[in-house]
Amino acid sequence: MEMPFREARPEDCAGLVPPDDSAAHKEDLSSKIKEQKIVVDELSNLKKNRKVYRQQQNSNIFFLADRTEMLSESKNTLDELKKEYQEIENSEKTKIKK
Amino acid sequence: MEAPPDPAPLAAPAPAPLRAPEVARLREEQEKVVTSCRERIQHWQKVDDDYSALQERLSVLPDRLSYNIMVPFGPFAFMPGKLVHTNEVTVLLGDNWFAKCSAKQAVGLVQHRRGHVRKTVDDLKKVMRNFESRVEFTEDLQKMSDAAGDIVDIREEIKSGFEFKAKHRIAHKPHSKPKTSDIFEADFADDIKSKDLLADQELWARLEDLERQEELLGELDSKPDTVIANGEDTGSSEEREDPGGSVDTARPGPEAAAPSCRLGDATSSELRRGQEGSLSSASVNGSHSCRSREDDDGDSDGSEDDESVLDALGAGDCSVPTIYFSHTVEPKRVRINTGKNTTLKFSEKKEEAKRKRKNSCGGGHPAPELPTIRTPADIYRVFVDLVNGEYVPRKSILKSRSRENSVCSDTSESSAADFEERRGLLRSLSCEDACSDPCDSILEEGLPPASGAPEAFSGTVIEKELSPCLTPHPAAAHPALPAIPERKELVSEASDAVKRVSKFKAARLQQRN
Repeated sequence: MEMPFREARPEDCAGLVPPDDSAAHKEDLSSKIKEQKIVVDELSNLKKNRKVYRQQQNSNIFFLADRTEMLSESKNTLDELKKEYQEIENSEKTKIKK
Repeated sequence: MEAPPDPAPLAAPAPAPLRAPEVARLREEQEKVVTSCRERIQHWQKVDDDYSALQERLSVLPDRLSYNIMVPFGPFAFMPGKLVHTNEVTVLLGDNWFAKCSAKQAVGLVQHRRGHVRKTVDDLKKVMRNFESRVEFTEDLQKMSDAAGDIVDIREEIKSGFEFKAKHRIAHKPHSKPKTSDIFEADFADDIKSKDLLADQELWARLEDLERQEELLGELDSKPDTVIANGEDTGSSEEREDPGGSVDTARPGPEAAAPSCRLGDATSSELRRGQEGSLSSASVNGSHSCRSREDDDGDSDGSEDDESVLDALGAGDCSVPTIYFSHTVEPKRVRINTGKNTTLKFSEKKEEAKRKRKNSCGGGHPAPELPTIRTPADIYRVFVDLVNGEYVPRKSILKSRSRENSVCSDTSESSAADFEERRGLLRSLSCEDACSDPCDSILEEGLPPASGAPEAFSGTVIEKELSPCLTPHPAAAHPALPAIPERKELVSEASDAVKRVSKFKAARLQQRN
C-alpha cells in the first residue's frame, strides 16, 4: 500500500487578501496560482490506487480524501485564482489607460 | 490600538505652527497606526478563517463512525490511523483546562469565539478608517502649509494673544469674588477651631463695628421691643446655623460638650484674665443661670445664697444662653484681634450678658443651688473661679444647664460658687436688674422655641440686646439654657462673629447653607 498524500491547502481559496495593496496581492495570487497548478498536475498524474490525504487547517492531522474529488476541487480553485488574477490585471490596465 | 492616543496630541499642536517637519512626523505616526491595524486585522482574519474551517470539520465529523487519517508523530512524521469517537471533543477552555463535549457543543463554542473575533476585527477596521481619514487630513494640512503657510501663521498668533489676555482677565474677576464668599461660609459651617484660624482680623473688626452699631441702635430703641426682637433673632440664627442635631447632641452628651467648653475656656482664660473686671460680672451671670436651672430641678444646696443674690438682683435679665456664647467667642476674638478696642468691647458685652443672666436668675427663680452635680462641670467652674472666675463659670454654667436638663441637678455646686462671685457682680449691676421685670416674661416666651440648636446665636444676640435692655428676662433662661449651653460653648467662638453679624448676614448665611 503506497500512500503518497497530498496537502490540499484551503489557503488556496482566493479573496482573503483585501485589495489594499494591489501589487502585493497580485504577487500573492501569482504564487498561489503556481502552487495550485503543481497540485493539479500531481493529482492528475497519480496512479489510481494512490491515497490522497487533505490536511485539516491549522492542525497537523491529515484526513483521507478521494483522489478524483481532490483533483476536481484543486482544478476549481485554480480556475478561481486565475479569474481573480485576470480581474486585477484588467483593473490595472484600465487605470493605466485613464 | 495603542497608537491612537499619540497621534491625537500631535495633531493638536501641529495646526498652529504648521511646520513641515512636525506635520510630516504626525503623518508618519498616523500611517504607523494604520499599518499596525492592517496587520492585526490580517491576523484576526486568519484566526477567524481557522475557526470557520474547524467549525466546518466539527459539523461533519459525527457523520461517520471513523475516519482514516494520518496521525502525526512530531512535526514531520506520520503514520496511518483511524479517528474514532467522532462525537467526542475536548475543548481548551484556557489555562490548560479542557472540557469534554460533543461535536455539536464544540460547534457552538466555535461560533461564540468567532463572534468575538469578528467584533475585534470590526473594531480594528474602525480604528484603521479613522486614522486613514486623519492621514488624509494631515496630508491636506501639509499641502496648505507648503503652499502659503507663513501668512496663516501670522494671523493665528495675533488672535491667540488677544484671546488669552481677555479670557484671563474675565475669568479671574468673577471667580475671585465668589470664592471669597464661599470660603467664609465654609469656615462658619466648620468647627470653631477652623473658623478661628481662618477668620481674619479684618473680618472680626468689621463684625465688631457692625455689632457696635447694632448695640447703639438697640439702645436708642425702646428696651422691651429691642430685647424681644433680639431674642427672636438669636433663636432663628441659632436654628439656622445648627440645623438639626445641635440640640440632640447637647442634651444627650452634656459631658462631651463640657470638654469642648473646657478647651475653649482654657484658651479664653488668658484673655479673660486681662478682662478680669468684665469676667467677674460674667461669672456671676453664669452662676445665676445655673441656679435658675437648679431651681427648676429642685431646690437643694445653695438655694439660700441664690435667693439672696436673686433678691439683690431683683429684676430678671435676658436668656442665659446668649451670654455664654458671647463670652466664649469674645476671648478668642480678642486674641485674634489683639486690639485693645476689641477686648474692651468684648468685656462690655460679657458684662451685659452676665448682668442679664443674674437678673433673670434672681427675678425668675428662688436660686436653689445644687453643689454636687457632675465632677467635670464643677471642676470647670472651680478653675474659672480661681483664674478668671467670671468667664469660666459661664461656660460651666452652660454645661450644667444642659446637664441639668438631661440629668437634673449635677451642676448645683459649681453654680453655687459662681453665684457667690456673681452676687458681687450682680450687686454692682443691680441697677440694671431693677429695670426689666416685664421684659423677662416676654423673653421667656420667645426663648423656649429656640432652645436646642440656636444657643450660640442667641448668646450673641442677647448681648447686643442686653446693652439696651440690661435686666429683663430672668425666667426665660431656664428653658432655653439647658439645650443651648453645650453647643454654644463649642460653636460660640466661631459663631460669635456670625451671630453678631447675623442680623445683617445671618440671612445670607442661611441662604447659602
